[in-house]
Amino acid sequence: MESSSNEHIDYVFKVVLIGDCGVGKSSLLLRYSDDFFQESYLCTIGVDLRIRTISVDDKRVKLQMWDTAGQERFKTLCGHYYRGAEAIIIVFDVTSENSFSNVLRWYEEARQLSRQDTVLVLLGNKSDMADSRAVSTERAQSLAASLNIAYFESSAKLCDNVKETFTATTRKMMEAYQKHHRAHLPDDLTNSKSLHMSQPIKSSTSLNCFDCSIM
Amino acid sequence: MLKSAMDKKEKAYIIARLLRNPNVDVGQLRELSLSPHGYVNDELRRVVWPKLLGLDLDTKMSAHGKSKLLEHRDYNQVVMDVKRSTKRFPPAMKEEHRGKLQDQLTWLIMQVLVNNPQLHYYQGFHDICATFLLILGKNIGYLVVDALSRSHLRDFMDPDMHRTNTMLNYLYPILDRADCELKSYMQKAEVGTIFCLSWLITWYGHALDSARQTVRLCDFFLASHPLMPIYLASAIVLHRREEILETECEMCYIHVLLSNVPTNLPYEELIGSAQQLFHKYPPSELAEEAEFDYYDSKTMKNFAKFEKGIGLHKPLEKRLWKDSKVEAESSQTTLFKVTMWTLTAAVGAAFIAAQYVASSLNS
Repeated sequence: MESSSNEHIDYVFKVVLIGDCGVGKSSLLLRYSDDFFQESYLCTIGVDLRIRTISVDDKRVKLQMWDTAGQERFKTLCGHYYRGAEAIIIVFDVTSENSFSNVLRWYEEARQLSRQDTVLVLLGNKSDMADSRAVSTERAQSLAASLNIAYFESSAKLCDNVKETFTATTRKMMEAYQKHHRAHLPDDLTNSKSLHMSQPIKSSTSLNCFDCSIM
Repeated sequence: MLKSAMDKKEKAYIIARLLRNPNVDVGQLRELSLSPHGYVNDELRRVVWPKLLGLDLDTKMSAHGKSKLLEHRDYNQVVMDVKRSTKRFPPAMKEEHRGKLQDQLTWLIMQVLVNNPQLHYYQGFHDICATFLLILGKNIGYLVVDALSRSHLRDFMDPDMHRTNTMLNYLYPILDRADCELKSYMQKAEVGTIFCLSWLITWYGHALDSARQTVRLCDFFLASHPLMPIYLASAIVLHRREEILETECEMCYIHVLLSNVPTNLPYEELIGSAQQLFHKYPPSELAEEAEFDYYDSKTMKNFAKFEKGIGLHKPLEKRLWKDSKVEAESSQTTLFKVTMWTLTAAVGAAFIAAQYVASSLNS
């Protein structure tokens, strides 16, 4: 676990991974946070959390990455976690037509629980399994375009494009944060080039606790 | 109660001696789960575990055909979860053998689900089933899980997780009574209860790496009230109080700390603490605070019926029997009536017999 000491942090963001069972949500997070892959990973029960601090464009960003259970019955418990998240990554498995056709359901779920400035991303995992691919990059791209969200493809197994996806998502969260807060800040503050504080900036999630209280 | 110093061999001997009696008292067996080593070894567990649930192993088991299993709405989910359960099998096990056991695990889960159409599969049920399969084998494992799924695990298998959620709610009322400062700290951080969801619904099988610890806890839970896993969760949180208070008062940090269960927790000690918490703050007293509808809970109803059925001298929660809404009390009344009737009849018969003898002597 990352230390919670007073290191300089510019942003604290909450990222939630959702999608069908077995699409590789936990594997993606394990690969990203611990650079490790396990062929057979236990299914997630409820939610799991990993914390990682990264640097993006000279900014220190603390990511709270929430992994959620894919089974429908956990949705009511996990729904609290999407609420107030700065980004929701909808994951599907490029070898599973079924997981792709459920993307729209997950998207609706995400829309209902996200805020106006929440970044939504579509991610097709298991891109290494070319022989059993069921969903082409073009189809996924066109779905993402119709939903007006970004599309990425990755392989947690081969560590391909995992870091890049999280970095790009983080950049989008930073932009959304700046845009949203610029719109709400007085003029003199909007000119400040970046936000530097000695204490970690609370994510808006933490500030709106009533919105994200867990059960 | 046994002294904690008692060694494994001695305890195994005592259990084996008790088991020689075919009508062994379940209450006595239950007490043995509380002292160190539980039921000691897997040979004894194979006999004790079904007895704790009052099962007759001679019952002919009628297995459902494969087509019925395949038709079930949860079949695909079960297959997927079992496929990802390799970590639940001993690491040294050969892949071929493990594959066979995984097929048996799917079979066991599906038999229970088809046999009880009212039950809904949840991810984590397969973790519990894996433990029973490994210790009891597929046939007895099936009988045990089938019974458990209608009692201890019943509420987890509702169509939704509302009741499970209210069971988790017990955590804070227990902490409030046992350690108000800790409870306030956790509440301030908004930790919630999701960190112990898998502890409750998998009987810790999902969270613990050690199969031996999981099996030891099964001894305890099979012999306990269905809410005992949440009392153990409270005992674990209380045990880790200093670590929690030293962690920044933020949900994510405390959640990460608590959801990773250390391998070196003193389980025997924690079992004792959980048991103490249970007696000090019994579930029926905290139900309202936890918003748990005790009398609507199918787990509680079926568990009370089960306790009544095996005619326990010492039910696990006395209040449960005192509270009028549970059928158990009427059974006690009936038992009392039957006893009084028998006693009256016996006294009457003795009186008649004495008169007869006296009159014979007189004549």
